Parts: sequence; structure tokens; C-alpha cells
Amino acid sequence: MSGRLLRLAWRNLWRNPRRTMIAMAAIGFGYAMLLFLACLMAGLRQQMIETGTGLLLSDVEVHAPDYYPERPIHQTLGAQKGTDVGALVAAIAADPRVQAASPRVYGYGLVSATHQSAGAQLLGVVPDQEQKITLLQTRMVKGSYLTGRTPKEIVIGDKLATTSGVDVGSEIVLLAPAADGSTGNDLYTVTGMFHTGLDAMDRGLALMSLASLQELLRLPPGRIHEVGIKLHDNDITAAAATAAGLEVQLSKTFPVRVRAWPDLAPELADYVQFNRRVTFFLFFIFFLLAVMGIVNTMLMAIVERTRELGMLMAVGMRPVQVVGLIVAEAASLAGASLVLGGALGYPLLWYLQVHGLNLGGDRGAVSLGGVVVGPIWHGRQDFAAYAQAAVGLALTAVVSALYPALRAARFRPAEALRKV
Amino acid sequence: MMGWKTGSVAICLALTRLSLGQVSPSAHDQRPREIVDRVSRLFVSKSCIATMEMQITNPEWQRKISMQFWSLGESNILIRILSPQEDAGTAILKVGSKISYYLPKTNRTVKIRASMMTTSWMGSNFTLDDLVKQSRLTDDYVITTSFEGQRDGVGVSEYTLTPKPAAVVVWGKDILAVRQADRMPLWQRYYDEDGKLVRELAFSAYKTVSGRLIPTRLTMQSMNKAGKAVAEKTTITYEKITFDEPIGEEIFSLKNLKP
Repeated sequence: MSGRLLRLAWRNLWRNPRRTMIAMAAIGFGYAMLLFLACLMAGLRQQMIETGTGLLLSDVEVHAPDYYPERPIHQTLGAQKGTDVGALVAAIAADPRVQAASPRVYGYGLVSATHQSAGAQLLGVVPDQEQKITLLQTRMVKGSYLTGRTPKEIVIGDKLATTSGVDVGSEIVLLAPAADGSTGNDLYTVTGMFHTGLDAMDRGLALMSLASLQELLRLPPGRIHEVGIKLHDNDITAAAATAAGLEVQLSKTFPVRVRAWPDLAPELADYVQFNRRVTFFLFFIFFLLAVMGIVNTMLMAIVERTRELGMLMAVGMRPVQVVGLIVAEAASLAGASLVLGGALGYPLLWYLQVHGLNLGGDRGAVSLGGVVVGPIWHGRQDFAAYAQAAVGLALTAVVSALYPALRAARFRPAEALRKV
Repeated sequence: MMGWKTGSVAICLALTRLSLGQVSPSAHDQRPREIVDRVSRLFVSKSCIATMEMQITNPEWQRKISMQFWSLGESNILIRILSPQEDAGTAILKVGSKISYYLPKTNRTVKIRASMMTTSWMGSNFTLDDLVKQSRLTDDYVITTSFEGQRDGVGVSEYTLTPKPAAVVVWGKDILAVRQADRMPLWQRYYDEDGKLVRELAFSAYKTVSGRLIPTRLTMQSMNKAGKAVAEKTTITYEKITFDEPIGEEIFSLKNLKP
């Protein structure tokens, strides 16, 4: 397709500016909507990943080989197998892909106040480090997160507080089976309550300092169950690749298994993939609609210009050049529409990323697939999807121009010239 | 729930599992019923005071817990841990279906809801379910004689206890082996719904106490998926035990939980 053909096509487009503008507006607006949709879907995926991993899970978890998924209390990192936990955490934190790493201890116990008791998962953390990998500190509804000022602090879910009948400032007894077969028990003071919107956490999680949980469970200081990791890039494929890389690298020195969040929360990974497929499906539907629009526009264009096209062919334009011309017109139309759509869409994308959509006040948060979304739904730039949409739309334009173009190429000049 | 005082439960359990009691007589299997009934009543008494030791072995740790036990009727039980050091003073009180723990370290009494006790006790070879189900095993089983003859030179009768369809029982079936000579229990094997051996309770050290002959050592052995014994077992040994001595009901009170 020569440059001359393109120039001719472009000129032809603007011989009927109104029709072209209308077609451009339709396609351009459609493209802007696709950008909007892709941005929101990417934002939803990101928010799901962030709350799904950010509240408790973290992006990547490092365990002793036999620890996950049963989480037996004895399968610890460190001490038992001679792993130096401090060196392990330092080695992980030194990796350029890792944003932060934090050691953890898990237990299960009975949270008991004077008259009521409830079972809960106990999580021991180093507060300063934990806050770099998870977001629980942002979900406090009463009191404060672990301050580290006193050893016997505990932070519990708001529903757990209700079922065990305690409030901030209350003393509670923890009763937990310890690593040596005895039953660890001690008194703690509730310093804060969190509300995540996830029932399992609000109803069944208690957070305390690593050292005090180790003491309760009679685990020596060198023994932990997990290192939680926050990555710079926690996208589904990036996280899996990083986990695999870390495992190879760490295994040289430490006996560990490394798992990324798609492994730890397969339902979340499934949702993310589902979301991607839905986005793609919506793209596809839009392309189908665009086909109708472009076919219609180009058909109109050739019917109106039958005489003109007949003339061109009479003076020697070959049918293949006619096809080329029509396709070039469609491609130019699509190109111009994409530019227009991009210009329309960009401020929208910027707004979505910065301000987001408010789903309705503080209680607007919804739990989707076990993950809390909202109340503000932020968009996120998904340039790959934008490019896909653009390429898809351009291809759609070219393909849908083929039918009108082929029709035009079959004109017989003598007949075409007689048309008015 | 995990290993709340593994030991204490085990004792209650050993007693209650045996109290299959009051098996209702039916015409054609009168004798097996009578024998199983008698075995199940071995420890049933108006009251019981015992000092016992429980040895728990599993791949990760071993513990020897010694404790004192008081029971009055079926529903009043008090257990006080004597050793080891870290658990000494802990007391468990069960009155009706309410269970309370006294924890000397924190000087608190903790109530445990029965609804929370439906999962097995980790680290122990006994499940909490056994304790909860204590009283109403009576009419739950169909009893048949599955073996009569010599085993290792001892005359043995084996009775198969199959839960009736309506019974809420976790086991597929139990087999109880009894010495023919004195009708002492030798072992009881628990099978799951697929007919696989899950655990075995073995009886030994038969002694006459308060005028009755009883086994004073009970060993619960867990089996792996292939039905073979694993390194997980719990042995309860009665060091002292007396039956039907008067006990005041007032000892089964929260006040009395603290030493």
C-alpha cells in the first residue's frame, strides 16, 4: 500500500466530514470505554490481590519443607534443622525483587475472657517488619496496632472480641497447645481490634508479638514457622516466578519451600484469571459491535461513490488498488478514532487511578471471592490491555472493510459510471 | 480443639468409653450383651477417687502427666494435675456439660463451650468427641460374637459392636476381646467406616480394687492409614483407685478448682 494511496484515503475520508466524524465518535467513544473498563478491571484485580495478600497472606511465604498446608507446630524454620533464621530473613530481604520480609509464628488457641471463650488462630509477628508486608494496621477500628511497648499485647478481630466478650483494655487468657505437648497459657491485654470485612479474620485471628507467641507455644526464639514477603511486583506471573527463583537461590543454604500467593490462595488466582477473561470477552463483544459500525460506514461510502470508483477504474485503477483504497480508508478511520478515543479516555484513566469510583461511603466495601473491595474502587493502568484494544480495533477495522472493498472491486466501470 | 490437657480427657474417656453400660437385653444375643455390659460397667461406680499417670508418646515429644481424679456419678468430674512442673495445679472441672479449666499460671478459670470440643485433641490419642458423647452410647450398638477360642493359649471371646443406623457414632465398628476365664477385657479395636483399624485400646495389669477386678493400665495406640501402629500412643496407669467412697458434691465446684 503506497503512501499515495493512504493520502488519497485520508482525503476521501474528509470529503464527507459529517459521516466520518460520526463514525469516529462512535469508535473513539467505544475505545475510550474499553480503556475505562480495562482500567477498572485492572484496578479490581490489583485491589483483590492487595487485600487478598496484603491483610494476612503476603505475596510470598517461605516455610520449612513439610510445614504447608497442615501447618504443624513442629515444622519450623530454624533451630530444629540448624537454619539461622536471622540469616534467612536477611538473605530474603537482600533480594532486589523483595520489598520487605517479616518472620512469623502460628498457633491455635482458645481466647477466653471471664465467661466466654472462642477459638482463634494466633499469629506472632515483629510489628515493625510486619507492617511493611501487610496492611492490618490500616484496618484498626478500636485501640491501636501492636505497639511493642509491652510484651503481653494482643490485637484481635472485632467479631472475635464480641464472641469472647472483651473490649480494648480487657485482659484475656490464651490457652494453646504448645510444642512440647504442654498447654501454654498466659494473660494478655487487648490493645486493639481490627475489622477487615473478611469473616474468617474478624472472627478468628489474634495478633501478638513473635516473642510472646514463641513463649506461649514454648518455641525457642530461633524457631519460626514462616517468612512473609512483600514483592515490588506481585502480579500473578511475576510472583510465581520470583517464588521459584527465591526457592532455587535460598535452597543452596537453607532447607526451605517458597510459595507465591497464587499457590497459597488458588481461589484468588482463579478470580484474577477470570477477571482477565471477562475483560477480554467484553473487548470481543465491543469489536463485534465495531465491525457492524465500520462495515456500515464503508458500505455507505462505496455506494455513494459508485460513480467515482467506476471512473477511477475506467482510467486504470486495478481492483486490488480499489480494495487497498477502501481498506486504507477504514484503517485511517480507525487510527483517527483511536487517537480521539485516547484523547477522550486519558483524563478518565487518570481520574480513575487517582480518585477512583466511590462505591458508597464507609460501608460500601464488598467481599468478592473472599476478598474485600471498596469502598473506593481505584483504577489501575493496564497498558498491555490498552494496546490490545487498539490493535484489536485496528484489525477489526481492516477486516470489516474487506467486504465493502471486495464489493467495490467487483464494480464494472461501464455500469458504475451510469449510476448517479 | 488441640491438646487441652490431653491427659485429663484421656482418663474421663477411658472411663466413659467403657461405660457402654445398660445394654438393653434382647432374646437371641443375651450372653454377648451381658458380657459387654459387664465389661462396660467395670469402672462405673457411685464415686471414684484415683491417682493416675498418663504417658503420652508421639514423634515430637513425650510427656508423663500425673494427676488426681474424682468422680461422682456420671456428670461430676474433677481432675487436678500434680506434675510435670509447668502444668502442676491445673484443674479441670466438669459438671453436667460445662467444662472449666483453672490455670494456676494466670490464676484464672476458663470456661470451655461444649460446642468447641468437637474436634480431636492434637497430640493425644483420644478425641474430645469421646468425652462429649459420654453418656448416650448405651443403646447405640448391635452386638454379635465374632470369635470364640484360643489366642496365644488364652481362651478369648471377641464381640463386634456395630453402631445402629440411627446412632451418632464416629466409628464404623468396635471389636472387644474378653478373656474367657475372668471376663476381663483384653483390647478394644476401633475401625472406621471403611473397616480400617484406626486405634486400639489395650488393657493390662489386672488388680482387685475395692472388691472388683479391673485392668489398671490402659494403652491407646493410634494406627496409620495402613492400619499399622505408629509412634503415637497414650498409656494411663492407675496407681491408686478406690470406688464408692463417699465424696461430697461440694468438691465439684468452681471454688474448689483453686488448690
